Amino acid sequence: MNTRQVAKGDRAFFAVSTAAAFFTMSLVFAVLIFLSIRSWKTFSEQGLAFITGSTWDATSTPGTFQILPMLVGTLVVSILGLIIAVPTSVAVAYFIEYMAPPKVAKIATSLIDLLAALPSVVIGLWGLYVLIPHAVTWSKLLSTHLGFIPFFRTDFDNAQGAPFIAGWTVAIMIIPIITSVSREVMGRVDKELVSAASALGGTNFSTMRRVVLPTAKSGILGGILLGLGRALGETVAIFFVLNLVFETNWYRVLEPKGGNVASLIVSKFAEATATEISALMAAGVVLFVLTLIVNMIATSIVQRAERKMAS
Amino acid sequence: MNLQTQNSNIAVMDADSHLEARNIHVWFKERHVLSDVSLHFPTNSVTALIGPSGCGKSTFIRTLNRMHELIPGAGLAGSVYLDNEDIYAAGVDPVTIRLRVGMVFQKPNPFPTMTIKGNVLAGLRLSNRRTRDEDELVESCLNRASLWNEVKDRLDAPAGSLSGGQQQRLCIARSLALAPEVLLMDEPCSALDPGSTRRIEETIRELSSDMTVVIVTHNMQQAQRVSDQTAFFLAEEGQPGHVVEFGSTDNLFSSPNDPRTEDYVNGRFG
Amino acid sequence: MTTLELLPRPKDAAPWRNRSKSLLTKIALASVLPVVLAIAIGKAFGIPGPITLLLVFLPLQLLASGLAALSTRGKRGVADSQLNVAVLFATTFVAIMLGSVLFSVVSFGLNAISPHFAYQNNVYVTSTTSLEYGGAGHALLGTVLVVGLAALIAVPVGIAVAVYLTETRGRFRGPVRFFAQSMSGLPSIVAGLFIFAVFVSTGISRPAGWLASSALVLLMLPTVIRMSEEVLKLVPGDLRSAALALGAPQRKAFFLVIMPAAKTGLVTAILLGIARIVGETAPLLLTMRVNPNTNVNVFSGDMSTLPTYIFAFLTAGFDTGRARSWAAAFLLLAVVGLIFGTARAISAKSIKK
Repeated sequence: MNTRQVAKGDRAFFAVSTAAAFFTMSLVFAVLIFLSIRSWKTFSEQGLAFITGSTWDATSTPGTFQILPMLVGTLVVSILGLIIAVPTSVAVAYFIEYMAPPKVAKIATSLIDLLAALPSVVIGLWGLYVLIPHAVTWSKLLSTHLGFIPFFRTDFDNAQGAPFIAGWTVAIMIIPIITSVSREVMGRVDKELVSAASALGGTNFSTMRRVVLPTAKSGILGGILLGLGRALGETVAIFFVLNLVFETNWYRVLEPKGGNVASLIVSKFAEATATEISALMAAGVVLFVLTLIVNMIATSIVQRAERKMAS
Repeated sequence: MNLQTQNSNIAVMDADSHLEARNIHVWFKERHVLSDVSLHFPTNSVTALIGPSGCGKSTFIRTLNRMHELIPGAGLAGSVYLDNEDIYAAGVDPVTIRLRVGMVFQKPNPFPTMTIKGNVLAGLRLSNRRTRDEDELVESCLNRASLWNEVKDRLDAPAGSLSGGQQQRLCIARSLALAPEVLLMDEPCSALDPGSTRRIEETIRELSSDMTVVIVTHNMQQAQRVSDQTAFFLAEEGQPGHVVEFGSTDNLFSSPNDPRTEDYVNGRFG
Repeated sequence: MTTLELLPRPKDAAPWRNRSKSLLTKIALASVLPVVLAIAIGKAFGIPGPITLLLVFLPLQLLASGLAALSTRGKRGVADSQLNVAVLFATTFVAIMLGSVLFSVVSFGLNAISPHFAYQNNVYVTSTTSLEYGGAGHALLGTVLVVGLAALIAVPVGIAVAVYLTETRGRFRGPVRFFAQSMSGLPSIVAGLFIFAVFVSTGISRPAGWLASSALVLLMLPTVIRMSEEVLKLVPGDLRSAALALGAPQRKAFFLVIMPAAKTGLVTAILLGIARIVGETAPLLLTMRVNPNTNVNVFSGDMSTLPTYIFAFLTAGFDTGRARSWAAAFLLLAVVGLIFGTARAISAKSIKK
């Protein structure tokens, strides 16, 4: 056989895989560049006010497009989601890896992995018809009994559409994701270390606090950031349970005044004018940059943790 | 003077026993792996447990500080007395036993997320206890494990930066910080080079001045060098592991009673 | 010489499970008292159920377990008992929530679904049409077509990238891996906007199925890349060098040795990638329009998929629409479950081998 021919075939093989790799890598830039071009008009016309102002008016010309309430709302809902999801997910992961009998653990693991793939439109459906009635009752209880805490103060009778409920919905969405990652890293903690801790008089609690959590810490953090990324970019699940109001609501989570960049895009897109579409593209760019930062941090943390675990 | 038990080959030295195992049987799920082991460990003695792989000596040593029960499917019958109190009696907190009976594992396993100093103090943190002077404790424990001179300038370095032998001595120091009365060592040198092994053997001899040591070893020279008494474990085909012979190390190696012991100590099998 | 018998394991071969009577009493008290007390206090003061659960029962349970632990194990038992109560409480919460999601979809879905729902389309269905007519068959077909086209593009590209990451010594493996992973956090709505900006805003195409597929490719790629890379990494190095030592060129070594060895893993990777995108809604809302009629042409015309079908009926806001959404959600969940179950079964089988 002719060696040059062999090399030629291999070269094609490598060329294809290299091309695919560069294509993938360029996608991230393509998304940024295309959206920026399409939204350039908005950025140049609105200036910094695009992210610091609170008015959205497409009817007048040239129109005012500002998304601060939506940005704040996105952060509020995501943080609420994390407040509910993080402790519960870590607890469930601990339960599966260190408390449950092996059979239960096995079933719970596959169930959690399945639920991590639950379509968000299904969660939205559930949030709208099943969660909201309960969540409204809870919100009422919170506001009447704990209304003295600024977070729970409300001037409204009904909390339907409030960030609290959206945060709860998002929590249900990201719990399987965070649990799945946390369980994985907790399970990878060297059993020898857990034995060593027991032999040194460690209790379940002190072993978890001093040995398991410190070892699994960065992996869990990566999982949390992954969940945060999902929460920031979540669209339909939030769309059904949150009122979008162009009035910045920093912390009153029980008032039905919320904001969400992704939901804004969906709700305005169908009937948008060309200028409004440009503004929605701009909102998309902001959202993308936000999630990209969160995900890059998450990726580097997880990759570093993996390298550390491997060594 | 010999004290006879059911097995005529098991002789016990004449001294107060500090730790004593009586008629220990062990099962894993339904499998009977250790049968009727009765051994006495006098105060401040060093006892070597020898025997071929799979004879149950590592399993046995874990019954002495209630680590055995952490293995899924573990079963046990018999009793272990520490200062004449049954450590398996109902209501005994295993944690209190593990604090009094320390353990060093086969593979060095310092906590990678902690510093050298943090590892020595890990037992205190894990058992929620305090000491008046942490630095003093760290120094004395590292000294007794003959590691102090090598690490005194980098106590805040991560434990993973040490060599294998140093890591194992760190694990010994970590156990000593809890001031245990008994130290169990499960083949502590099997992963180490000869130099590290020698240093750990010296440490064991020094420790035995004020604590009772039980060491599992594959190495018969090591058993002869460090121990006062030796137990020979064996699991023959289709039988559970058991103690073939137990007595003073000198007797067991120079004039064994059982032909199987003689074969083993002379390197004819295992 | 006596032979030792292998003794059967006695029933009480776990002395650490022996609990004294007083301990058993304490455990019983610690598990019953808080429940009884919480119910009594809640009734007596007329405190609403959820508040009783969270602010009366939980503290009482923590206190009772703590006291029981304190009296049996001393101070160090307390933290353990609080950990157990907290973990079990949180786990129960999650189980109830996720259980509720599954239960709602199954029960509401089964209520509204009938065999014809899976194959009929939605033409002539209005708010007054009874559930006996019309279905999501066209949407199911649309999902299969759109997702199928997305997979057709994403799978070869994804595997090729994984090959680049594992089989070559390319200099950009680090950055490629990093960007591929970062892309896994791309908000799905942004993927939709991107495709819209590239193809619709420029006038290349009207919204259509293939645009939705393109958006889904962006979302599927990272999963396929990551999982295929892990699978290819698991192929033993010996196998690789053996093939190369026999003089096989690398591409042949890959297609004839490595790929067959990693086959089941790759199939699992593809299935999980599909499971990830089959329920995506947001990008489809921007790149295609719903159509009550059946359309089999992904390259032109409007077309419904299960997620957009659910979305459309939810925003329509009438009772039969709600029922239809649940029925379609059930169908969608069944599809996801089927894909997932297949992936599990395949990987379980390959492990057994």
